[in-house]
Amino acid sequence: MKLLTCPMNGPRNIDEFQSFGPVRAKLDPNATADRDWSRHLFRAENRKGILVEWWRHVPSNYFFLAERDLVTNEIIRTFDASQLRDRA
Amino acid sequence: MNRLPAPFGSRIDRSRRIRFTFEGKPFEGHEGDSIASALAASGQWVLSRSFKYHRPRGILSMTGADANALVQLPFEPNAAAERTPISDGLRVSAQNVNGSLERDRDAIMDMFGRFLPVGFYYRTFMGPRRDSWLKFWEPMIRRKAGLGVVDTKAPARHFDKTHLHCDVLVVGAGPAGLSAAITAAEAGADVVLCEENPEIGGALSYGRYDPAVLSGLSSRLAALPNLKVLTATVCNGWYEDNWLPLIQGNRLHRTRAREVILATGAIEQPAVFRNNDLPGIMLGGAAQRLIRHYGVRPGDSAVVLAAHDDGYRTALDLLDAGLSVVELVDPRPAGEAGPLEAELRDNGIAIRKGATVEAAEGTPGNRHLARVRVGGSWIACDLLAVSIGSAPAWQLPCQAGGKVGYDAATQTMTITLPQGPVHLAGAVAGTDEIKDAIADGQRAATAALSRLGHAVAVERPVTPKTIRPRYVQSIVADPKGRDFVDFDEDLQVKDLQNATKDGYREIELVKRFTTIGMGPSQGRHSALATARIVAEATGRTIGEIGITTARPPVGPETLGVLAGHHEVLERRTALHARHLALNAAMKPVGAWWRPYYYGDASSAEEAVREEILAVREGVGLLDVSTLGKLEIRGPDAGEFLDRLYTMAHASQPVGRVRYCLMLNEMGSVVDDGVAYRMAQDQFYVTATTGAVARVYADMLFWNAEWRLKVDVLNLTGAFSGLNVTGPKARQVLEALECDIDFSRDAFPYLSGRDGTVAGVPVRVMRIGFTGELSYELHCPSSLAPALWDAVMATGKPHGLRPYGLEASRILRLEKGHILIGQDTDAITTPDELGFGWAVSKKKPFFVGKRSIEMRARLGQTRTLVGLQFPAGARNIPGESCLVLRNGAPVGQITSVGYSPSLGHHIALAYVHVDDQAEGSSVTVKCRNGELVEAPVVAHAFFDPTNARQEI
Amino acid sequence: MPLRLLKYGLSRDYPVSGDIPATPELKPAYDVVIIGGGGHGLSCAHHLAKYHGIKSVAVLEKGYLAGGNTARNTTTIRSNYITPEGIAFYKEGVELFERLSQELDFNVMFSQRGQLTLAHTEATVRSFHMRAEMGRHMGTRTEVVDQKGVEELCPLLNMDYGGPLEILGGLWHADGGTARHDAVAWGYAAQASRRGVEIHQRTEVQGFEVAGDRVRAVKTNRGRVACGQVLIATGGMNYDVALMAGVELPIRCYPLQAMVTQPLKPWLHTLVSSVSLHTYLVQSSRGEVVIGGGSDPYQLYSTRSTLDMKEHLAEGAVHLFPFLQGVQLLRQWAGITDMTPDYSPIMGASPLANLWLDCGWGTWGFKATPVAGKRMAQTIAEGRVPDILKPFALERFETFRLLNEMGATAASH
Repeated sequence: MKLLTCPMNGPRNIDEFQSFGPVRAKLDPNATADRDWSRHLFRAENRKGILVEWWRHVPSNYFFLAERDLVTNEIIRTFDASQLRDRA
Repeated sequence: MNRLPAPFGSRIDRSRRIRFTFEGKPFEGHEGDSIASALAASGQWVLSRSFKYHRPRGILSMTGADANALVQLPFEPNAAAERTPISDGLRVSAQNVNGSLERDRDAIMDMFGRFLPVGFYYRTFMGPRRDSWLKFWEPMIRRKAGLGVVDTKAPARHFDKTHLHCDVLVVGAGPAGLSAAITAAEAGADVVLCEENPEIGGALSYGRYDPAVLSGLSSRLAALPNLKVLTATVCNGWYEDNWLPLIQGNRLHRTRAREVILATGAIEQPAVFRNNDLPGIMLGGAAQRLIRHYGVRPGDSAVVLAAHDDGYRTALDLLDAGLSVVELVDPRPAGEAGPLEAELRDNGIAIRKGATVEAAEGTPGNRHLARVRVGGSWIACDLLAVSIGSAPAWQLPCQAGGKVGYDAATQTMTITLPQGPVHLAGAVAGTDEIKDAIADGQRAATAALSRLGHAVAVERPVTPKTIRPRYVQSIVADPKGRDFVDFDEDLQVKDLQNATKDGYREIELVKRFTTIGMGPSQGRHSALATARIVAEATGRTIGEIGITTARPPVGPETLGVLAGHHEVLERRTALHARHLALNAAMKPVGAWWRPYYYGDASSAEEAVREEILAVREGVGLLDVSTLGKLEIRGPDAGEFLDRLYTMAHASQPVGRVRYCLMLNEMGSVVDDGVAYRMAQDQFYVTATTGAVARVYADMLFWNAEWRLKVDVLNLTGAFSGLNVTGPKARQVLEALECDIDFSRDAFPYLSGRDGTVAGVPVRVMRIGFTGELSYELHCPSSLAPALWDAVMATGKPHGLRPYGLEASRILRLEKGHILIGQDTDAITTPDELGFGWAVSKKKPFFVGKRSIEMRARLGQTRTLVGLQFPAGARNIPGESCLVLRNGAPVGQITSVGYSPSLGHHIALAYVHVDDQAEGSSVTVKCRNGELVEAPVVAHAFFDPTNARQEI
Repeated sequence: MPLRLLKYGLSRDYPVSGDIPATPELKPAYDVVIIGGGGHGLSCAHHLAKYHGIKSVAVLEKGYLAGGNTARNTTTIRSNYITPEGIAFYKEGVELFERLSQELDFNVMFSQRGQLTLAHTEATVRSFHMRAEMGRHMGTRTEVVDQKGVEELCPLLNMDYGGPLEILGGLWHADGGTARHDAVAWGYAAQASRRGVEIHQRTEVQGFEVAGDRVRAVKTNRGRVACGQVLIATGGMNYDVALMAGVELPIRCYPLQAMVTQPLKPWLHTLVSSVSLHTYLVQSSRGEVVIGGGSDPYQLYSTRSTLDMKEHLAEGAVHLFPFLQGVQLLRQWAGITDMTPDYSPIMGASPLANLWLDCGWGTWGFKATPVAGKRMAQTIAEGRVPDILKPFALERFETFRLLNEMGATAASH
């Protein structure tokens, strides 16, 4: 079982977590053309390399972010969502 | 009897005799014997027939890895005879025989080998008719395929799982593993040492080594309380982050180790020559194991094929066991000049160098080895012990990221692991001598300790003093064949060569075309030889060819041990016992058990009708505890719901209840419920039973981005719900001891109140899924039975009746209320449901808003409408029956049922958007294919003005 | 005894068929370059050469022939989908399989033993009715069977009467079956190469030369190849390869795992799959029981296996057939699947005029090997997308014309 380090709960077996997919760019729905909007809905990041994605620690229903390598499955780091906002 | 006196036979207890049968014949062995050793002790060397040619086969390695030594047990097919202990009365039979092991009718296949070249089944069995394969050839092949027979009446066995955590896991308790485990434990680490055999020692337990080495290591081991030894435990895989399954009998230890040391040893490799599969030809290690572990003499008259020290040691062991060693054949021109050779010569053993075994011949029917040909002349013998070299046990290291290479200088297969928490030690890392293995174990332990933060001096890898090129057998196909490379699959040298001629030149293609390495031993004894043959045949190097990917498990493991004792998740409401006491027919709905109706199955229809009638005319009680219940608290609670749901909640007055409809980002309907505003900063929200887990997750997922000041609690299990519904609902509630004013004006439709009913604190919402006057009472689950009892007792004089899920479904259908997931699918929009009223036009944002606007522009194609079927209609379509337009499917029936209130069948269905108007008629295709016309009517079939719920 | 076996027995030497010629030198240009030497790419090559007379075709495979998902899938062949567009397409696929051994003169061992999907909930029964009604309307053999029907089709199943996973009914698809996956690819490869198609193994595409709206050439580790038309059929690598041409597909990659037991004498005669348990089983003609289930729960380009998935699949298998407790597992493995949002493939045109897509095959691509190859060959040869493929266009995600097959795909593939 792979380990994932929850920023709140520490390292736990990955079956305690649920993936919520890659972080997507924020769009203003009212200022986005239809074509870009459907792209926003259906296309998700899938490039080989490091992905920033949402994870949920299920027992605590806590959402956080992880940087993970899509090829090696190495988890580079995990961090609270507030840091994403700070970064943006 | 082939039994040797003590001290031979370390595993057996001669004082305990065990009787069992093999192929119906009685046999006897000792406690501690494996099936194979007990049979060998009695002179039964043939254990099975081979896969394709049905040749007699027996012991090859005594490690339990080969198909040759798999047997059928009553409840376990393909049991490893070399590992499975005998027990009293055990009935063992041979596998892959047509008739009996002794008289196998399919033995004739051995004569027809030339008719069945490699891959022949791809080129034939196709005709004469198109379905000939299915109807004729495949059934025949399926009968011939397979090894064991699964007993479909096997009784259930108990399996369990535990968890183990350690600083260092050492796999393999041979000299390297013992040394590594001791070194790590002596430094204070928490160590688990896992060994697949019943005893520690590995080669030290059966090889010809100084017993003081093992006893010395054993006594150090015994003194270490932080070293846990698991014998008879197989480490059967390596998974990410050092997660390893250790299988001990019927128990799976799911193990997390900070560091792992793999001391998995080496796998002795067979030699390839004509008839190399005869019973009586075995690996040197197998002969030594028979002698030392089981006290079994592996033959009378032996030839030893040795290209390694171990072969010389085996020859000396055979002498000690009283065999006559006719000759030791060493294919190396210079052989082994050393003390072992001298000792053999002292014992008068002939040693022939620069020669090899070219072929073997068997007794009639090839039941046992009769003689071998060396240098053109035949030597009679009944045992050929083969010790020509080994390959590192690559399976676990490769699963852990190791790369297999080939050192052309030393002609050895090598394994390299990246720097990290997995280390190799001993023979798997290339050491050859016991003392090197022990030193290498220490080194690996030191490296692991250093990574764990212990202050240790990291040692350099052990370099053996002399690096000599290993012997490599040059493999030339015997013109007459039967020179097996893979015993499991009956594959010969020419089969591999022919595969390359057909273009299957990559190792994986060779494997797939010939099935080499796909049998139970998974290439343990064939991978290296295959690489050599393919390299030779395609003019490339062994390094370029490589071996096929090693995948878990390392060895066979039962599905039982993997499954463990698995319990299916079941949820019961707090009122479960009440339902059972009322003779409810309980059904699983998702994970929950729910009452379907109350009464016996024989009168189910009547019970449902009466329950419906009770709600329409009197009062009914439904356990709605499975509903999702969420509490949203905080100053932004209203804003939060505004963003999540389609209606306006920020402006919702305290004390009011509002329908809520949830969309996903695509604009599809995913859930509905009601939201009761209990306070300015507090909402109580229901969700559908099936969706609440997802809704609860999504709420916080969205808020991880929005960062609104809210807190979400999932009260689904903590709170229970009782729906009191029917024209007399108010009378019942008013008759209860309570502090809530249930009167029409004080407690209007779509409002909520907190208070106490029958001494139980409740949240009450006046809503109307049934279309009748309804109050939904929610309370802490621990108090729900008390509330239920009070309502039932008070309701009795009013004719109150509990009703189940089936009645509830009809009641809601009569009102045209949708069920999410039944009347909606993954692409349903609010417009398609006619739910424009439930979608705020004023809010700047809610999840799905952008998409439903876009989808509206793209054009709506279908609408959910009501359909009505005349009373007495002959053919009523079932759920999912298609709605056709000009013969093409445009929608389907989503819900259908007989309405006792209306006296005819009604349905909800998707129809083409142009047919949505009331009064249109649509064509529905019934289950039997008949087309019926049905008029489109309004959703609310019953009480269309909704007067009843607002009384 | 079949004649050919007699021929083998009487011939002195092994009758070499030379199914797969050794990789030749790359030519500077081909009329059609097919990226991906798996079943789909080889099938397309065969159809181009045999039915459209296009023989200047190079199939580029970065590893060994058919070593990706063709080699790793569990070979379910069926047409019991939900959407009429999907059913029409897969139905043609099943029909092509029925004639495939003859078409290829290579026994692909198509074994049409039927597929039984189990419902443990009423909602599943309802979804089965939907598939049965649509399937029958479209002319496939698909029907809902009750508990008695399930027991007749598979008497060894644990029905769990009165339990939480009671089997309430099943979806019986008599058209369903399996085939020998490798044989399908090899048969196509042999036929295609006999007609002049070149198969280049160990030839990895590293980029595209794009000028305007056309691909001029494909860049490989063995050099540059100019091309008239290009097809992407690279399974788990589709997203990655299309991206090199600047085309971003709505695809995410997930591992899909499976496992197999030791060979057993035949006891399971149909494909059995359970929606609630996310487990399916089929016994191969070798006697091995192949067990599979749903995809991994997060994106990954890896074929590593996990213990968790193996435990989960074992739980499901033992629940359905409790006597399997004593059966030994032999091997587990994984493939990389290219999942689309609606569980339907993406076939047809790309934003580039001469770049064609045969992508988004997720967990369900094997069954479409013959039909996708046939129809993509037609597309390339005629330069326009035939009607049967039009619903699968990439543009459907811009117009919300999704072909939602999730309910018919998740557990059975």
